[in-house]
Amino acid sequence: MMIEYKNYLVPGSVAEATEALAQGNATIVAGGTDLMVQTGASGRGTDTTLINVRRIGDLRGVTLDGGRVTIGALTTVTDILGDSVVAETAPLLAATADRFASNQIRNMATIGGNICNASPAGDMIIPLMVLEADVELSSWRDGAVQTRTVALNEFFTGPGKTVKADDELLTSLSFNRPAEGFVGQFGKTGPRPALEISMVSVGIGGVQENGGLANARVVYGAVAPTPIRAIKTEAALEGTSLDPASIQAILDVADSEVNPISDVRASDWYRRHLVRVMTEEVLQNVATG
Amino acid sequence: MSDVIEKTTLIGTRVTKPDAPDKSNGRTRYINDMVLPRMLIAKIKRSDRAHAKILSIDTSKAAAVPGVQAIVTADDTPMVGVGVTKDNPPLKKDIVRSYRDELVAVAGETEEAVDKAIALIEVEYEDLPTMFDPIAALEDGAMQLHDDKPGNISLAYQTLHGDIKQAEVDSDHVLDEVYNVHYVTHVCMGPGCVVADFDSRGKLTMYTQTQYPYNYKMDLAPALGMHPGDIRVIQPPVGGAFGSKLDVYPFEPIAVFLAKKTRRPVKLFFSREEEFEASPTRQPARFHIRAGVKKDGTLTFRDVDAILNNGSHTSWGATTPFVMMRTFTGHFRVPDVEFRSRAAYTNMPYAGSFRGYGNVQATYVTATVMDKLAEAIGMDPISFRLKNAQKAGEVTPQGSRLEECLLGECIETASEKTNFLEKYNAFKAEQDTPGRYKKGIGIATSFHNAGGAKIHKSDGCGTVIMLDDYARATVITGASEIGQGIDAVLTQIVGEELGIPVEDITLVNNDSAIGPWDVGVHASRTTFIAGNSAKRAARKARDKILDAAAKRSNVSADDLDLRGGSVVQNDNGVPVIKIDSMLRKMHFAGEDAELVITHDYYEPPSEPEGDNHVGDMSAAYSHGAYVAEVTVDTWTGVVKVDKMTAAQDVGRVVNELGIEGQMEGGIAFGIGYGLTEEMIIEDGKVKNPNFRDYKVMTAPETPEMEFHFIENDDPDGPFGAKGIAELPTIIPAPAIANAVYNAIGIRFNNPPLTPEKVARAIVDKRAAREAAE
Amino acid sequence: MSQLVDITVTVNGEKRHVSVQPGMSALSMLRDKLDLTGAKLVCGEGECGACTVIVDGTSVNSCLMYAVELDGREVATVEGLQKSEKLDPVQQAFVDKGAIQCGYCTPGMVMQTTHLLAKNIKLTEEQIRRGLEGNVCRCTGYTKIFEAVQQAAEAQGD
Repeated sequence: MMIEYKNYLVPGSVAEATEALAQGNATIVAGGTDLMVQTGASGRGTDTTLINVRRIGDLRGVTLDGGRVTIGALTTVTDILGDSVVAETAPLLAATADRFASNQIRNMATIGGNICNASPAGDMIIPLMVLEADVELSSWRDGAVQTRTVALNEFFTGPGKTVKADDELLTSLSFNRPAEGFVGQFGKTGPRPALEISMVSVGIGGVQENGGLANARVVYGAVAPTPIRAIKTEAALEGTSLDPASIQAILDVADSEVNPISDVRASDWYRRHLVRVMTEEVLQNVATG
Repeated sequence: MSDVIEKTTLIGTRVTKPDAPDKSNGRTRYINDMVLPRMLIAKIKRSDRAHAKILSIDTSKAAAVPGVQAIVTADDTPMVGVGVTKDNPPLKKDIVRSYRDELVAVAGETEEAVDKAIALIEVEYEDLPTMFDPIAALEDGAMQLHDDKPGNISLAYQTLHGDIKQAEVDSDHVLDEVYNVHYVTHVCMGPGCVVADFDSRGKLTMYTQTQYPYNYKMDLAPALGMHPGDIRVIQPPVGGAFGSKLDVYPFEPIAVFLAKKTRRPVKLFFSREEEFEASPTRQPARFHIRAGVKKDGTLTFRDVDAILNNGSHTSWGATTPFVMMRTFTGHFRVPDVEFRSRAAYTNMPYAGSFRGYGNVQATYVTATVMDKLAEAIGMDPISFRLKNAQKAGEVTPQGSRLEECLLGECIETASEKTNFLEKYNAFKAEQDTPGRYKKGIGIATSFHNAGGAKIHKSDGCGTVIMLDDYARATVITGASEIGQGIDAVLTQIVGEELGIPVEDITLVNNDSAIGPWDVGVHASRTTFIAGNSAKRAARKARDKILDAAAKRSNVSADDLDLRGGSVVQNDNGVPVIKIDSMLRKMHFAGEDAELVITHDYYEPPSEPEGDNHVGDMSAAYSHGAYVAEVTVDTWTGVVKVDKMTAAQDVGRVVNELGIEGQMEGGIAFGIGYGLTEEMIIEDGKVKNPNFRDYKVMTAPETPEMEFHFIENDDPDGPFGAKGIAELPTIIPAPAIANAVYNAIGIRFNNPPLTPEKVARAIVDKRAAREAAE
Repeated sequence: MSQLVDITVTVNGEKRHVSVQPGMSALSMLRDKLDLTGAKLVCGEGECGACTVIVDGTSVNSCLMYAVELDGREVATVEGLQKSEKLDPVQQAFVDKGAIQCGYCTPGMVMQTTHLLAKNIKLTEEQIRRGLEGNVCRCTGYTKIFEAVQQAAEAQGD
């Protein structure tokens, strides 16, 4: 069902966009890959103002400045897949992009949209949380654009829910270029390489040290209402030399931290099982370098 | 005239499809793309309950939506049932028995107006107890879903041959097992769509996706209160069918009701979600099979009891036992066989016909059972099958005459080309060694009708051929083109007879007012039956031309041939006259003028089943043996098909390009059935009515495929050809399951072998082993 | 009631002025307003690729794209590929290789192939499979589609 929007605006700048958002009753569209599907059946967005942010300049691209990587919210997943800064600083992100949906969707989907969509499985969110990214939120306050930064780890509050206010626009995300010796891997399973809604996704990163990972970051998708940092698993990894026995112990910790549900795609049993086997796979790859 | 013309053949060549160029550049207008002047859009409001009384339907708010032109319910339409047993009135009155039950239909100027109106329809229900399990439905005292169907039985079948009790005594090993095969659906790329249009004389034209345009009129007319002769059926290009359009389903008469009320063309189409929810499925079934074998490997008996979930109304799904039993009783030599089935009404979606038609389900069971019996007596899967494979001339207990039976040859070919036994033994030895990925190889076989199925009064097809003054031929056939490539095949057959190139042949086959009768596209019949019809009509045309040429040149017609666009001398290929010149001479011959227009109606030499379902009901049969090679990820449970090798008895390849395409496409269906496709239905509701969660095979999952066509020239098929395209949907799934067993030592009686199912079985097996230690 | 938005979009090289509702998909605009019915509505959720068109040189699922987003952009649909009496090499390859049965997925497949080849003429088998992972076909089992892509690559490489 086509949604009947009251109005349509296509701002050319962050200022214009946030000023429009400040009026309230707005629906933001960027790539559109989530919005069209989610509104069709539900009727959500009817009688709101459709604000197309795709034409805002300067919100697309990846830059590296003084050890900090910044990705504009309108950067597409295909952009990320082929970007040289990403390849150099955070290949984990490109590897994840390669497992995202399909070529056509990658061409359209924006990283900002993927983050704001806040899917518990949220593929691109997983590596960004491993990289400890922050997001920049812009809003129109007191006649000017104001920004605030929120750590991605603290951004999600539930399935499809974030701390972003209705009058805020996600304009960019950034993370520190990982340290020397950092390795990261993303795992997702299914009979298809990419066109699968993740039953479980896992992202692990850290600095290779003493047969294990230092400053490990472990993130799981589709095992909780939001993507989660598995803090206890990270602690268990810290300083641990990885061998079959120690890996098993770490898997037990991971198991205790996740709370997957059963749905039409997978049972909770299988999701739990996948957390174990996929974590084991990633850790084995990291252990063997 | 000049050079000698050599005899060449079109049969067995690679011919591109005549409609492919238009399909490649967007010119083709599918039924879904159709627009007629003043056409209205229509949609259906379906039930919100699995089983309930309808207390009231309020359409007043819907009627007030601007752009709405007509609304119909059961109150203002004839309550005449459609469907195979006529138990399905297009719009439901008083009771809804499933979520797909049609309550109200709305026609309006735009899709937006209609969507809005549908959302404003208010229905009051009084819930009734629900019943989704056919076993519960068959119990004494179960709630009756239809007053006129005691015991909730829709259709029951039975065939009995020999003495099961004695055979069991004679067996050294008896297998007693239950299999449950699941709901899958066609997933045609083009969703359901129909356009109904009355002319000013009150005669109806249906633009429809139907696969059986002629009997369709007969089935549709009573529900409309019309004479079948007043219905014209036009078949625009469709986005797939695969058996989903072989019955009259409610949405089509509903479109007619709206067209009649508004006196405007009405186009009714499904959303993708509705397509999943409301389209007929493949028939699920529960099989209880008991099968026996002697220690020397001889099969002794099969006793099968099948329970089918009929769903709320009846379509072809309930008749699939007709085909299932053929495989249970006739695939491999089994002297004593019994089959019983009951289809029970429930509040579930109903099944229709689907490429493979019951044989997909039956073969999953028989091919798995064959492997298990082999193992029980210590024989390898190949030798065991060869021992029990029928030979040419044998007749099955149900009377299928296997005049030529190439089952043994198919098995040997598939086994040899894949180095089966060497791999089988090697992989078996690796089952319990450490390692994440396990390889396996498995074989499965089946047989299917390949020359139609005599289930109607006629299994025939008519053809009319016209040649113009330029030796261009028009072939008017009753056979429908649904993407399967019968268009190319018929031009090859006609071109072969007439000695003209396929490019000079136009096929007309989509208008019942023009084309002669054909029973429909199903049962792998079209190459055989439409092919023979076209061949015979073409031969009559050929004979006319040669007779005329012979008379002119004072030779016998037997000494002449048609080749390369010319009439030639048979023995040396010397041209006598060009065909187009000959045709013009015949045309402009004064009082003796004639056009070359010929026709033929071909009824295949098959017989309907008689008592106990005995009868040689197809004019030809075909066997196939497929070997699947898989890799099982024992961690995630994902099964990857690395290679599918098919050895199939095809009679003769007509279009080498087309036959490969049909095999490759059919195998994709088989792989989906075995591994990834599953309708998840909870409390009668389809929970995965979308492409995201109903997983058809995608490009990266495509295995390597290798085909070995055994061409033995069917004695009755056109140029020896017969039907081929259902076996590739039938055989892959159990071949894969048998391969998975070879890899990990676990059997699956209930497809699909999803990653979760396989992973869980592996974990359970490991846990059981550890508990035992 | 929503306002109509006037957009200017170049479709197959031709500038078109169209009035669209904000909520309208690019697919609906192409099919219903411009009568370009090659792109098909099959799943409506970006899972099957039958609606694939090329926008500013990049393939997209037009069922997910908003029509208003096409303003000022260039769209290539299957109807615009053929530039002479001969079929475009990608189209010809699909015909030659038997990669078309019912043909409903074909416009999306052809456009996605065109896009893939424009980005990289030397596609490996694996890249072809991955490149088409968002295009579903129910009839062909894909094998002949892969062969068509390879033939088209060779033809364009000449």
